[in-house]
Formats: sequence, structure tokens, C-alpha cells
Amino acid sequence: MSGAPADLPEAAARRFAEGAFTSGLTVPDFAACLQMGLEPVGFVQGYCVMQWKWYGMGGMGLGMGGYGAQYANTGGYSENWACPHGMVSAEHRAWGQNFEQTWVESAWTEGFTSAYGRMVEEAASVGAHGIVGVVDTNQPLSDMGVLEFRVQGTAVRVTDGTPPADEPWTTYLAGQRLAKLVEAGYAPVSIAAGVASVRVWANCITENLTEGSNSMYSMAQPGSEIDQTVKAHSVVRRLARQRVRDQLGHDSLHGAAMATTERELGQGDAELQCILRGNRVRRFKDFDPMPAPVPTVRLL
Amino acid sequence: MTVPAPVGEGLPAPEPVDLKAEMIRATEVVGRSAPGGKGPAKATRMLSDLSIDEELVLHSIGWEPIELVSGVSIHSVPMYVWNWGQGEIEYASAAYARSFARATERIHAECTKAGGRGVVGVHVEWGVHRHHIDVALVGTAVRPVDGNGLSADPVFVSDLSGRDFALLHNAGWEPLGLAAGASFVYAPRRSMGTAVKQKGQNVELTNFTEAMYAARESAMERMQTSALGMEGTGVVEVKVTEGPMDFAHHAVGFTAYGTVVRLRTGEHRHVGARMILPLDDPVLGFDATSLRGS
Amino acid sequence: MSDTTDMSDTNDTPQDLPEGASRRLAELEHGLFTSDLSVNEFLLIKEVGFHPLGFVMGSSIYHTGIQTRKWGQSQELTKLTEAMYNARELAMTRMEEEAAELGADGVVGVRLDVNYYEWGKDAAEFIAVGTAVKAESGVSHRNKLGKPFTSDLSGQDFWTLMQTGHIPQGLVMGTCVYHIAHRGLGATLGSAGQNVELPNFTQALYEARELAMTRMQDEATELGASGIVGVRLEEKSHQWGSHTIEFLSLGTAVVKTSDEVTLPKPTTIISLDN
Repeated sequence: MSGAPADLPEAAARRFAEGAFTSGLTVPDFAACLQMGLEPVGFVQGYCVMQWKWYGMGGMGLGMGGYGAQYANTGGYSENWACPHGMVSAEHRAWGQNFEQTWVESAWTEGFTSAYGRMVEEAASVGAHGIVGVVDTNQPLSDMGVLEFRVQGTAVRVTDGTPPADEPWTTYLAGQRLAKLVEAGYAPVSIAAGVASVRVWANCITENLTEGSNSMYSMAQPGSEIDQTVKAHSVVRRLARQRVRDQLGHDSLHGAAMATTERELGQGDAELQCILRGNRVRRFKDFDPMPAPVPTVRLL
Repeated sequence: MTVPAPVGEGLPAPEPVDLKAEMIRATEVVGRSAPGGKGPAKATRMLSDLSIDEELVLHSIGWEPIELVSGVSIHSVPMYVWNWGQGEIEYASAAYARSFARATERIHAECTKAGGRGVVGVHVEWGVHRHHIDVALVGTAVRPVDGNGLSADPVFVSDLSGRDFALLHNAGWEPLGLAAGASFVYAPRRSMGTAVKQKGQNVELTNFTEAMYAARESAMERMQTSALGMEGTGVVEVKVTEGPMDFAHHAVGFTAYGTVVRLRTGEHRHVGARMILPLDDPVLGFDATSLRGS
Repeated sequence: MSDTTDMSDTNDTPQDLPEGASRRLAELEHGLFTSDLSVNEFLLIKEVGFHPLGFVMGSSIYHTGIQTRKWGQSQELTKLTEAMYNARELAMTRMEEEAAELGADGVVGVRLDVNYYEWGKDAAEFIAVGTAVKAESGVSHRNKLGKPFTSDLSGQDFWTLMQTGHIPQGLVMGTCVYHIAHRGLGATLGSAGQNVELPNFTQALYEARELAMTRMQDEATELGASGIVGVRLEEKSHQWGSHTIEFLSLGTAVVKTSDEVTLPKPTTIISLDN
């Protein structure tokens, strides 16, 4: 595929173009903002530090396997994968379960929302109409399970515009991309992000297939699809989209980026996390399709 | 050879847009309406990972994005498969083929469910691990605006960007799907005697050549067979990878995948490319090392 | 350049292509085309009246082993030069054979790569890949030797070249593996701390580069070319250590087909995009 920037998620493109830490906009983006009648007023940011644990946070009552185990009830997606054999043994994983780690999701959502809220407050306090070029990151502060959420951007005022609303609009886009968005008839509303986290507690078949072993009792065809994990992958992406869709109202999501990570925990267990980010946009005028662009070859 | 007239010539110039006025209006609309309020145009709630450039180009051919879709598949590879052997590692080749096929089926199904005509800009992520081979596909489902255009045609899945899809569309081509092929082989061993004889000489190692060559061809052929199965005329933007496995250096994998295309009707339409000479010295692009001529 | 003694026939006409290749090529001859060209390149190739036929490749795993060298003397290591040349020739010729089998007029976007594998000590795999193309008019555009032309030009460069009334004839290369003498201890100490030219190195590098480029030019002459475009010189030590370098000179030999230059007057623009 030629021309990588066309396919990069907007947020990543912005992050790459960004210069030193304190400058919000690159020179071309700054020029483009002025062209659009946006006056940068300041660099705004919000932070939130959350306690971060990978495993269950208290009170979920997870059993450890074997006969009569408790299936976790987390209030979210949950699917049982009972082992098809009638075996009971300390080593045979007679039951398996995919379940949504709702506590992880709420912690992430809280961290992100708090950081975002603080950034928006800063912008509102300087009378900004909007925030462009938002960058959101999260990084561990230490090994002890502490995660810092950081959301930052450049607050802007619309020249000759009506007084700003209570809450400024926000977008990951900046510069020419934002200009084209507006020209196309979309108004930026806010950035949107949703997270889903699913834990795979493998049953015997999943364990065997993931480890490639083919024990006598496995009953799994060698080389077959690992149903339980595949289902988890499908669910985690669907849930992330659902979370974001729930935030959209009648608006659309533009320039989205979906990132899924998988942590293999051994013995077929895994933890999947999917984060979907994008720009919530609203139509403010009918779309005026442009004529077919002229194909050109550059002589450099 | 004459150059055909460029596309777009003779059309009236688009009216210049007053960007500042647009921005003021946009901000008002957002500030005024309640969160989740309706806009003046019909509200189609779309999710798309296309950039605004891609979306504009898509619209210029009368298509629009509607939904983010994905498909994933993981197939197991039995233990001991990577130990030294001879010839093709069939379990691995089969696992790759099946994972790719099932992942494509799933993203295809999601697209159909969302009412799309096809998926563009698919990010193809695949990984070969010691005990399983994974394929994950994510893309944006698209369809003609107001349901015009192709209606009876099957849904396509392609890794063409929105822009490339539009370019091919204007030239008269349509994508059909993703074709993939892979072949995993053990590196052939040299017998002790041959090894000693060859030391000190510069010779072709015919055993090795034959094995690697065959595997490479095999991967490409599987991709071709898959393309023929979709009744395609060609495969474009084929991406080929080859190399040893991280976890087993004597096992080598060859993969190839690309988008299957065919002419919609009649002949290829020339695009009439115009040559341009940009008078830019992009400030960001300037790099002192280029002065060294390297 | 063929002086190796060994058991199997290596550097005369290449063996038959592997069975897998014939099967694959047969599919392509039935009308399916494959290409690793980008969509842009595909469209531009069509603009100048060519159509892609198929992805073609050739490879050869060559033992590029030993040659004794004098520690203190700068010299070409002719055995290694031969080996590197033969290996690439084999790969290129096989790729050309595949293209010929498809009935192609030429191959564009040729890439030459060298792969090393852990299990092949002193051995390297030389690969040549590209997309075979054919003129839609049916007029043969093969080169002077009646073989499909090869070129490492991208689709864009191919389009531009054709507009200037030239056509590629073949990818030409010249190689030279040179050993650069180690400096004696006395010489090193003597010049320590000074800014001086090191005549040994200068001379060695000059000679090596000249040899590589001259050989490349000889190939172009053989093809009856009027010039070479896109020349580049690559320098690699491969697996031999830093005092032994291969100088590889590559370019595309071209020939003028007509005086008519159909390059349209370029439109000058100032791009306002990122």
C-alpha cells in the first residue's frame, strides 16, 4: 500500500508529528488552524493515576477448577466452556470460562474520563471553544500496578464565533485533517474511547490446543481451531465497539483506531483487551461530494 | 502515444469554501444541540477507521463507510511439528490457510450483517507462534450511498485502502476478496560428506535451492488457486514475506497475500495521469544528510 | 566468469525450474495475473500500454565461502567476486525464464535480495523477484537478445521513461569483492593523531568501485544500450568481516525507441497538504 499516512489512525499521526513536549502544534498545523479561524490559546492537559491490577479485585469469588467450581459472575459477558469428558482430576481442567473483567473496564474508564474531564476544565477556564490535536496515553508509573492516564491537547478559540458553550468540543485531529473534516460537513463533538477486557479461563481442550499437546484425554483434533480463545477475541472487539456506540447518540465515529492486545498467561489462559478510540462527529450540513480528483505523477 | 485528457478537466471549478464561516457554524451546531441531538441531515450513525482523505475519495465515487468490522481465527499447531524433519511442515501450512479462511469468513459475515457491500482498508495481522497460528482482520465496511451501484454482487473483503479502491473503481476494476497462500518447510540438511567437499568451493547448493524455491512457489500457487476460486482476473498488491521462525531457526515460512480483482465490465479505463512539478521544499522534510548524496 | 570445480552443473544454463514453478506459471498463463505492484504502479503500467502477467522469481543458494587473502595486501578476491556474480546471475536468469515462460516482454520492479540463514554457514540465498509485463498491442518489446527485459524501475519510473521515448533493456550489474589491506602497526602509530589521507584505502576503494562500474557498463554494451539509468552503488561486507567489501553496481540499461518525447508539460503546483 502506498502512502502510509492515509491509513494511520488520526491519533498516531498526530503523535508522530508532535515536536517537543510543550508545543501542542507543529508549524503546518498551526498555520492550518489560523486558516480555519481557530486561535490557539494554550496547551491543556489532564491526568489521573489509577491503581491497576490484572487479576480480580476482591469479592468476585472465582473458583480454582475441579469439581464443583464456581463460575465467576461479573455482571458482564460470561460464557462457560465445560469440558466434554466426564473426568474429575486435579490436573484436568474440567471447566473453562470466558468472562468480561468489568472491574478492569471500570477502572480504565474512570481513569480516562477523569483525565479527560480535567483537560476539558482547563480549556473551559480559558474560554476555549474547542481542543484540537488531543493525545491520550496511559503508561505504568511503576511496576506495582499503577497506571497514569494522560490526555492533552491545544485549546482553541473560534475567531468571531459566538460565546463558547459550557463544554468545548474536542478532537484527535488537527491541521489540514480537521479542515477537511469541517469542509466535508462534519463538526467535531468529542473524542470517544471505549475499552473491553475479557479473560479466558481455559478448559482442557483449549489448554491442549494452545500448548500443542495432544494428551490422550484431550479429544481435540490436532490442528483444529481454538474455539474458546477465538470467541473471546470476537467478543472483546464487539464489546469495545458497543461501548463506543453507546456514547455516540445520533453521531458518528470518524478516524477510529482499534487496538487489541493479548497476554498469554500460560496453560491456555489469556487476557484480551481491546481499546477503540475515535472522533465523535456530527453532520452540520449536507455532504457535498467533490468531483473525482485528478491523478498526478510527481516529477521530483 | 498521446496523453488522454486528464479527469476533471472541463468541469466547473468547485465553489471556494469559506472555512472560517464553516467553523463558526460547526461550533454553534455542536454547542447548541443537546448531547446526542440530531443534525440537519439524515443521521446515519457510522463507525469508520478511514481517514478524512479516504472518506472524501470514497464519496467522490459515490460510496460511504458504515461500520467497523473484524474477524479473527486461531488454529492450533501440534507439538513437535517444528522439530527437524524433511520437506513441508503440513500442519503449519494448513493452520495458516484455515486461520486466514475463517477470519475472512467472519469479517465477511460482520460486513453483510451491517449492510455493507464490502470491506476496505483491512489491516491484516498474522502471527506464527510455536503452538498456534493467528490471523486477525480489521477494516471498515462500505457501501454505495443510497444503495446504488453493485447490488447482486457478492460482498468483498480487501486490504486496498479507500483511495486505491476508488482509483481501481474509476479504471473499471472491482475487488473480490483476499487471497492468501503459505508454505512452511524444514531447511534441508547437508550430509556430512557433501559438506566437507563443498567447503572451500563456491558452488550452488542445489538441495537447498530446490527446497526453498519450491516452498516459495508453493505459497504463491496456493494464493493463485484461491484467487481463481473467486473467479478473479488478477491479484494486486501482493505482499510476500519469508524467513525463519523466531522459535525454530531451521523452519522457514513463506506467505503471500493480496487483493483479488476483476474488470467490472468491458475494458480497462485509462486514468489520464497528469505530470506535476511541485514547487515545494517541505521544511519538515529537509534533511542535512541528503546533501551528502546518500 | 566461470571457474568453479564442483559436482553439479551450476553456472552454465540453469536447470529446469522446480515443478512447483511450472504449475504456478501454467495457472498464470490461463489468464490470471499476480503482481506486487501497488495500485498506483498498476494503473501507470496500463497507461503506457502494458499489462502485468505475473509475479516471477528466481533464487539460488550459493556457498560463498573461502578465499585466502593476504593480510597486508589490497586486492580483488576474484573467487568471491565470481561467486557473488554467479549466484545473482542464476537467480536473475531463473526469474527471466519464468517471465519467458509466461510470454512476457519484460519484468519491472525487480528486487535483488540476499538472505542469510543460520543453518547455512557461509551460504546465502540470492533472490530476484519482480512483476512480468507484456505489451497489450502484441508488438514484442523484448530486448536485443530476444529475452524479456528486466529493470528495477518502479511503475512510476517505467511510465516516465516510456514517455521520454526510451525502453529498458535489462538490469545490469557489476560486482567486485575487494579486500582492503590491514595497515601495519608501524604505519598506524605513525599517523595516529594526524589528519591525513590514507592512500591504501583511497586507492583500494577507487579501484574496487571502478571495477564494479566498468563491469556493469560492459553488460550494458552487450545489450546494445544507449545508456544506463538509476545507477546505484551498494557496499556490503556480508559475512566476511569489515576488511572485505562487496561493491555492487546496479542500474537499468535503456535504449531509445523514438525521437518523439511525449512528456506533457508538467503543471507546476504548490502542495498545501501535509
